[in-house]
Amino acid sequence: MELRRAAKGWRAAGIVIIAAILVAIPALATKQTAKHTPPVTKTAAVPDEYIVKAIGSKSAPVTMEVFSDYQCPSCGSLYEQTLKPLIADYVASGKVYLVHRDFPLPLHKYGYEAARWVNAAALVGKYPEVEAALYDNQAAWSVDGNIQKYVAAAMSPVDFKRVDKMMEVCPPPAAGVSPASYSQTGKPAAHGCPFDASIEKDKALGNTVPVSATPTFRFYYKGKTYGPMSGVVSWPIMKQFLDQVISQ
Amino acid sequence: MIGRIGLAGIFLVAAYAKLKPQAPGPWSAGSVKTSLSMFAMQVDSFQLLSSSSADLVAHTLPFFELFLGLWILSGIALRLSSVVSTLLLGGFFATLIRTYLMGLEINCGCFGPGERLGPKRLALESLMVVLSLAVTAGAFIVARRKSVPAESATSAVGLEQAR
Repeated sequence: MELRRAAKGWRAAGIVIIAAILVAIPALATKQTAKHTPPVTKTAAVPDEYIVKAIGSKSAPVTMEVFSDYQCPSCGSLYEQTLKPLIADYVASGKVYLVHRDFPLPLHKYGYEAARWVNAAALVGKYPEVEAALYDNQAAWSVDGNIQKYVAAAMSPVDFKRVDKMMEVCPPPAAGVSPASYSQTGKPAAHGCPFDASIEKDKALGNTVPVSATPTFRFYYKGKTYGPMSGVVSWPIMKQFLDQVISQ
Repeated sequence: MIGRIGLAGIFLVAAYAKLKPQAPGPWSAGSVKTSLSMFAMQVDSFQLLSSSSADLVAHTLPFFELFLGLWILSGIALRLSSVVSTLLLGGFFATLIRTYLMGLEINCGCFGPGERLGPKRLALESLMVVLSLAVTAGAFIVARRKSVPAESATSAVGLEQAR
């Protein structure tokens, strides 16, 4: 008799607890959502008042923002395995606007220098070509720092002359860190490298995400932000996500 | 009992975090599909499974976690459910250790996006394994205690009949 009563009591307690958890979990998770979900950012809100390193149409339904370091091996893998087919397919067909953000890491000796070259190339309209050249040859220039060689190969001699001229005023930065020409006040020094301001803006934006590893990426669609996510994702899986988002 | 609720809660929260809309908005079939395809990217970033396997895991794991959470909470066949839970959490822990040792700087994805895989995450995961082991041990001890008096009673009846 007592056992039956106890069993009834346990059952009742169990039902109450299940009900409480079912009510509490959504509330708890909603709080988590508010804490972890980045603020809603519309595609148009992606800052572009500096040197834009982007591929595709700004009016594409999805914007993908990638924070990367040209010397980071995972960034190279993401580019070669996933971003290349993305560019060839979804960017070319106007479905995705791909935005690159510089996030050179201090541990990479030539990461900052590479970012400068890409920014310079972007000013002559050769950003996609130079980015591809640097990732394709990452293993080579990461050893000797001869970035110039691959930048030159990715554009016409006339364009390279312009880029090289712009880079003349850029002193080599100390291994990966923000160069001295860029002051801590947020403004570039009077005679500093003209590309450092853009790189620092990207880094500042990355710190708000926050980016703690490269590559880190996020997506914008209809005023909603998905991510951030880090690491290398294969193209079929990312394609599935993009198809799902666009179909909503 | 408390351990059981805690363990069930872990699985229910984990399932909820993976299924809920990953961007502000109402729940819908589309939002769940988007959440699962986003979780698939997280599973894929572990570089442990092929794309198709990662996709399969991502589309089944959250529902299995939901089921397991409710199963543990119900107390039905607790020994079995707690063993399943320990094996699952042990598997997660081993995967996280492997990924961390490989130096992959990715998101865990265990309780939704944006969670970095680091020492804190590993410590938390190990606590979950310990909790699951404790619940498993508790389930076996309780079951044994219940069976001992029953066996004694049966023996007593047998003795009476023999007399």
